[in-house]
Amino acid sequence: MVLPHVDAAFNYARWLTRNDADAEDVVQDACVRAIRFFGSLRDDDARAWLFAIVRNTWYTRVSRRDVLRNEAPLSSARAEPVDAALDPEAQLLQQHTVERVRTALEQLPLDFREVMILREIEGLTYKEIAAVIGAPIGTVMSRLARGRERLLALLGAKTSVETLS
Amino acid sequence: MMCPRFDRELELYVDHELDADAVVTVRTHLAGCLTCRTHVAEREALGRLIRSTTYHSAPDRLRASIASRAARSTAPRLLMRWAAAAALVLAVGGAVTMVRFADAREAAIAGDVVDGHVRSLMADHLFDVRSTDQHTVKPWFLGKLDFAPPVVDLATSGFPLVGGRLDYLAGRPAAALVYQRQKHTINVFVLPNGTASSLSVGNRTIRGFHLRQWSRDGMRFWAVSDLNDAELSEFARALQGS
Repeated sequence: MVLPHVDAAFNYARWLTRNDADAEDVVQDACVRAIRFFGSLRDDDARAWLFAIVRNTWYTRVSRRDVLRNEAPLSSARAEPVDAALDPEAQLLQQHTVERVRTALEQLPLDFREVMILREIEGLTYKEIAAVIGAPIGTVMSRLARGRERLLALLGAKTSVETLS
Repeated sequence: MMCPRFDRELELYVDHELDADAVVTVRTHLAGCLTCRTHVAEREALGRLIRSTTYHSAPDRLRASIASRAARSTAPRLLMRWAAAAALVLAVGGAVTMVRFADAREAAIAGDVVDGHVRSLMADHLFDVRSTDQHTVKPWFLGKLDFAPPVVDLATSGFPLVGGRLDYLAGRPAAALVYQRQKHTINVFVLPNGTASSLSVGNRTIRGFHLRQWSRDGMRFWAVSDLNDAELSEFARALQGS
């Protein structure tokens, strides 16, 4: 039940740790634990469970303070002039390569980054994300909202919330 | 600033967390409110951008290491199940239980096939070798598998071969052949099959994906796709008849 979700687990771990070697170690440990303890889980739950185990493994490896210290400071990305005639998506696309989005995501504080990844890439529901990170649904919702605002600001979208308010 | 009344709803709307009625309410509002429309459009565009960034697929050695651990942990359990099954068969004197255990194993493999199909599309790892030429795809597997999967192009039947890759199924490396029908991708997983050489066709539908399974010439085949049932049957017949 673990094997089908190794890619998802690795992707999540890679975004948590921001480097390949740590991600690999974390997923290896997490899968060993998952195989040992959750062999009987239904497949629908298995992925979210595996995410939760990956997350716990990462946090027990590195104390919370270290995680936060290792986080790169949030530097503001340069906002380039955009063609105002384009719609918001075209504006974003015009400005930002894949690489820049990745960098912006990596600059996002961990609490925001992980909910963004779980929601946007892995397609988890609020309820599933809440289970993975062990927080109430309201927290998931507000982290997503604030994470998006920060990302849009980092990417220099013309009409980010800050410039509108 | 977006409208305070919709502050919360817009985020929920973007994340498909609203019920149908609330979706209608939000859409009605969006139709007349440029500010909120922009807010939503930005967030939806951001989501697409995030999904367009690199998906970090697990390295092969990690996958292999976990697979071998999973195999080791299921082996004793399987053995116990078989022992239990054998005891039951002896006691009852029937083969029903054996059939049921075989069924459960088939179901597990079918689940893996669908997962493999989905992963190949999601993780952007559809091909290791991309070619419509069967004489390119077939030799590519040489040295990577301990069997030689039959590779045929079905372009004349309307299912062109587009490539192949190494995949993992039922606890061992498998060949995955990729075929195309319009916008639909068909994955065919192939494993050697020690026993049956007869033609046995099994059909399943899992999470909206259709599956065909058959054995032939010492190989087992699983075809999986989001293609409609009838066309997948046509594909399976074409491949079996080739």
